[in-house]
Amino acid sequence: MELVDFAVDYAQQKGATYSEARWEQHATEYFSLKNGVLDALVYTTDEGIGVRVLARGSLGFAATNKLTKAGVKAIVDDAVRIAKATKRKDPISFASEPAVTSNWSVPERRKLADTPVEDKVEEVQHIDREVVDMKYKIPARYFVSTSLRISKYFANSEGSRIRSYSPRVRMYYYLTLMKGGDTEQAYRNYGWSGGWEALQEWNTLENVLQEARTCQNALDRGVKSPEGRMDLVVGPPVAGIMAHESCGHPTEADRVLGREASQAGKSFITPDGIGQKVGSPVVNVVDDPTVEHAIAYYLYDDEGVRARRRYLYKAGKITEFLQNRETAATLRTRSNGASRATNYDREPIPRMANTFVEPGNWDVDEMIEEVKHGVWMKTYMEWNIDDKRFNGKYVGREAYLIENGEVQGPVRKTVVELTTPMVWGSVDACGKDLLLTEAGFCGKSDPGQALDACLGGPTMRLRNVSLR
Amino acid sequence: MEDHAEQIVKAALTQGADDAVAEVIADRNYQIRFAQNQPVIANEWRKDIGTLFLAINKRVVAGEITNFDRIPETVATLIKVAKASQENPEYAGIAKGPFKYARPSVDRKIVALDDGTDHVEGAINGALEEGAKECAGSFWRYNETHFLHSSNGASGSDQRVGVYLSIRALVSLESSGHGVSCATKLSQFNPEGAGHKAGKIAALAKNPKGGTPGKYDIVFDPLILGSLIDQVGHRASAFYVSAGFSPYGKKLGKKVASDAVTIIDDGSADSLARRKFDEEGVPPKRKAIVQKGVLKTYLHNTSTAKKMKTKTTGNAGLIAPEPHALWLQPGDWTRDELFEEVKDGLWLTNTWYTRFQSYMTGDFSTIPRDGIFRIKNGEIDGAWKDVRLTDNLLHLWQSVKGISKKSEQVMWWGEVDVPTFAPYALAKQIGITKSAM
Repeated sequence: MELVDFAVDYAQQKGATYSEARWEQHATEYFSLKNGVLDALVYTTDEGIGVRVLARGSLGFAATNKLTKAGVKAIVDDAVRIAKATKRKDPISFASEPAVTSNWSVPERRKLADTPVEDKVEEVQHIDREVVDMKYKIPARYFVSTSLRISKYFANSEGSRIRSYSPRVRMYYYLTLMKGGDTEQAYRNYGWSGGWEALQEWNTLENVLQEARTCQNALDRGVKSPEGRMDLVVGPPVAGIMAHESCGHPTEADRVLGREASQAGKSFITPDGIGQKVGSPVVNVVDDPTVEHAIAYYLYDDEGVRARRRYLYKAGKITEFLQNRETAATLRTRSNGASRATNYDREPIPRMANTFVEPGNWDVDEMIEEVKHGVWMKTYMEWNIDDKRFNGKYVGREAYLIENGEVQGPVRKTVVELTTPMVWGSVDACGKDLLLTEAGFCGKSDPGQALDACLGGPTMRLRNVSLR
Repeated sequence: MEDHAEQIVKAALTQGADDAVAEVIADRNYQIRFAQNQPVIANEWRKDIGTLFLAINKRVVAGEITNFDRIPETVATLIKVAKASQENPEYAGIAKGPFKYARPSVDRKIVALDDGTDHVEGAINGALEEGAKECAGSFWRYNETHFLHSSNGASGSDQRVGVYLSIRALVSLESSGHGVSCATKLSQFNPEGAGHKAGKIAALAKNPKGGTPGKYDIVFDPLILGSLIDQVGHRASAFYVSAGFSPYGKKLGKKVASDAVTIIDDGSADSLARRKFDEEGVPPKRKAIVQKGVLKTYLHNTSTAKKMKTKTTGNAGLIAPEPHALWLQPGDWTRDELFEEVKDGLWLTNTWYTRFQSYMTGDFSTIPRDGIFRIKNGEIDGAWKDVRLTDNLLHLWQSVKGISKKSEQVMWWGEVDVPTFAPYALAKQIGITKSAM
């Protein structure tokens, strides 16, 4: 860690008005099972230091995996030189933060480092075999598992010194079932901060088997989803992706300020949008890095700012943006600890962590009982949203018709293509069944930073929306 | 670095590996990001990363080596992991060398370029001159040297350099345009041109109206067409086909596009992805994925090729075959003729967030962004906003009726992953949907 401290000090000597350095070590085990065969096993340890400086009002960032004094000196020289060379007109500043000293970690019941990779492969392969034993026609099965151990040391020129250890597990899979010439394809993605106990915590075997059953049920009995205006009950994975795409992204302050305009886009929300109505009074969407065992758990962000729960939408109104120190200074507020980078070789920027619709007090049965005619869309497959986060689309994977408060047979490819205010403005009930195990790869920035994110929520009811 | 690649392979063989390929990449890339008409950060990297692919008794493992003082220890760990792993019955070895590699020249002016601010300013000024109010984007100087060594006789080094600029120009939140410039020679780099294109589209897209769902004839600009070509290239990977991520399964020799469509992969030709070898050390070559609408080949490494009883196409990635650089063969239309052909349709200039309901059927949607223009009787008739292209990948390519004579190299964040030479193209009766309010 001496190299990190050296980088911070040396940058000050070179004329930086602010400097920070971050050492990260990512120990990764990745494997994929394709149609039962261990197709890939990747075992890596990636380690290096990134330095970010403010010099002449501009930001410079440089990174290396050469962990020597000469290597670190070279990147500090690079960062200061390229920052000064950019000749920015409006100087960048950072919102003030106290210096912090901390050392945090995430507990693991089954330590990732102590669980042999062959055991991990066998456990996933067992799930795959059970799927095969169902005797459905499944032309393609694809499981991917990643165990990641992230160690970090952060230091900045204001005196912060933070160490952390964050183990994470992710598993995603695709199942393709076929009947005649018809196919049903399912994708699910689970995430966990902690050890290999994740597989049990996700109830993975039963969930995967249930996914296969519902795919087969859709192929056997599924009919075209009804069209027109009706009620829609969405399951936790759908509420989670809606929270991520139609709340989390548009409230990222760098997007609001245009820094992402050329890549992930801007936002329908303007910098003065706090307080603007965007949904019904029952809509509360939060982003909270401090939820234990959710995949994006952390206690301090990559600028050394203490993490906390952020209410992005509260009672249907925009209440807070996701901030780093740069955006907070521009918007004359404080950072709320949302600044993250994927690894040592990327700059930290405002990111979602664990974003979810807050649960309400409804049972799922109660929500369905009050629906005369509608659809219960439990999961989705295709989805996308425009770059200002206003026009979203979610296409059902597992969905059922509801008639007079009773769940009927499966319906296929329900298309929910709605504006963001229409989604949130139509919500009249949120369930008790909050689910925080759904994970996503959140894409942003250039070079790309695909980051762990939890897409959470309860079952949610939308009244009188247009479906296809 | 060349020594490191050789040392890694030697260590793997000494410790019992049957096959090994090591690639060491010296990354000296440099970038400036800009937004609100000025730089927001400059980035530079000094990374030397080794990758190792090894097989022992058909047990396959891949890993990274970042500390070259600990090669034997890191390799020992990977060997241990491989031994405890399972046999992959589909593994069929690595390509047999030695190979002769081309010796393309590298533009030393790009290697020496250590300040990209003039290029950023040029692009921004180009857009502002066209009426843009706000510009954002990235300038890149790529400079990577790859050193490869395999236990089957492949050995070589390859310096890959280039410059790239991507700019989005906005007149307002809903009136924007995008331009890119890609070059392997500094003299061919045209950031100002990218800025002008982005600015022109943005200015033309003022006051867009909400669109109307339906079927439309569509003229695709190179940037959005690049995204659709990219989908063909990636879905043609033998890996994607066998994993169920492709509509091209069991379609070799069958029509997957209209007669006008020929799509080529070529890592050996001049592009930002030009290379001497793939990740098994095989020299890449020009091959048609789709020729006159017929699917001719999947993209292969040695193992996927053997399984499908053919030869590697020189597209090996560390795990899966990948396209290097893609070309949609130009047609015999001018751009103006494509527009004139449209009685009632759209001109789409860019897109993002392409997602599939089923990769196997090819049902997908993508969201046009930046200028979306109505065409009536061959003339632009106002701008639209807030629509989605919802169709099927096979149907879309089968609906292509005309392709322009000129193409340009495009690459873009998240959508056009590999350099793609894309012309303008006209496709008939493509699905457009929109959100309910």
